[in-house]
Amino acid sequence: MKSKIEFWDDFFKGSRLACARLITKVENAPALVPEIRDRIIPCLRGAVRIGITGPPGVGKSTVTASLAGLAVKAGRKIGIIAVDPSSPFTGGAFLGDRVRMQNLIGNPNVFIRSQASREGHGGLSPTTPYVADILDAFGFERILIETVGVGQAELDVLGCADLVVLVLQPGTGDVIQALKAGIIEVADLILVNKADMPGLESLLDALKFLFDMNARPKAKPIPPILTASALNDQGIDELQAELEKLIEGQASSGFLKQKKLARLEGEIKAAIQNEIWEKFRAAAGPEADIAEAAKRLDDDGRSPYDYIRDLGRRVSLKFTTENPHGEHRP
Amino acid sequence: MADPIIKVIIAKPGLDGHDRGAKVVARALVEAGMEVVYLGLRQTPEAIVHAAVEEDVDVIGLSILSGAHMTHFRKVKELMDKEGLGDRLLTGGGIIPTKDQAKLAEAGIGRLFGPGDDLQTIIDYIRDWHRSHPR
Repeated sequence: MKSKIEFWDDFFKGSRLACARLITKVENAPALVPEIRDRIIPCLRGAVRIGITGPPGVGKSTVTASLAGLAVKAGRKIGIIAVDPSSPFTGGAFLGDRVRMQNLIGNPNVFIRSQASREGHGGLSPTTPYVADILDAFGFERILIETVGVGQAELDVLGCADLVVLVLQPGTGDVIQALKAGIIEVADLILVNKADMPGLESLLDALKFLFDMNARPKAKPIPPILTASALNDQGIDELQAELEKLIEGQASSGFLKQKKLARLEGEIKAAIQNEIWEKFRAAAGPEADIAEAAKRLDDDGRSPYDYIRDLGRRVSLKFTTENPHGEHRP
Repeated sequence: MADPIIKVIIAKPGLDGHDRGAKVVARALVEAGMEVVYLGLRQTPEAIVHAAVEEDVDVIGLSILSGAHMTHFRKVKELMDKEGLGDRLLTGGGIIPTKDQAKLAEAGIGRLFGPGDDLQTIIDYIRDWHRSHPR
């Protein structure tokens, strides 16, 4: 199949603009995703993906920038994906994370990409995992993935990142209650940022109480709890050291590999859903006009399954082993 | 397929602390369905273009009220051309005399806006430019 992307050579020669343009293609041109995945996956170099998540305003961007600054000083190449929410009404997004990352701008060993969450409702954009892979293949060794400010159930970062840092701040004791069953379960490390603010002790007490109650899946160890003041560059060295320790442990236990396999599994499932949907839509023709069907179902007071059964009698999808790449792709 | 979402960088170059205009315009573009990377105050032309490359934006919007518009717009445009962003729109706003606007237009810089210009005019201008410059 002929490539529809004319700048692959530039990408592999290390052009930052080509890297940025490839990310845009992944975001804006779903039809090109298979080609991009075909080329990128064999070139993955095993970058570790670190998710930075937490409620709005706790300092995720500042922590991310400080961490990246330290890693760069240690000679690492760092990719940052900073996700901010898209408006469900207009589709627009205000991407403001770079304001907190001024120390990194212009550094050739850092690549920052802001992403709008678009159709993603789990704290990331649906294309964030692909962007992480592009940055990995481009040569970045650690990918920091900063989620939108999250509440209880935005857990996409669990699938996308190898390990998750949950950032909290003092004065949010009640937040802990809310987080009990949610994002706190996915944290591999908890960072209490803005530790110079009042309320640090009670937050640490609340966290300790929470883990004493064993509010965790059995398989997951209790996460280390660190304190920091990222704006004053305090506690970031310790965070960095602890993260490297965790990464080492995960790599040697095979956990990183497991994570990678789980991501691939998820992508396979999503790709199958997508392929079948496309085939179905092509085969079913105007019947697949879902909006029209919804209107009729509503008028008749029928359930969607009624419609699907009816459709299933008339449309059948046949799969053969011939022509494995399909030819319907635009 | 629907029009792709327009991505814009809004920045204030140089020593100029008045960012309300930039924020109002950024907000208006978001409400018009665009994705706006906000860089904030006191950016160098190099930092702005560096960010524009990584973000692969369609449009760079500069807000300049300091009087240094001739220098900054030209410098940013020069860097954009050098970094392969010559096909993107450089536009902006501030207190920019008409005769300066004409000179900047000659240098390949897009329309510039000032006090009293309607936000919708800016939105329409960017949308029209984007539609007529597919990439």
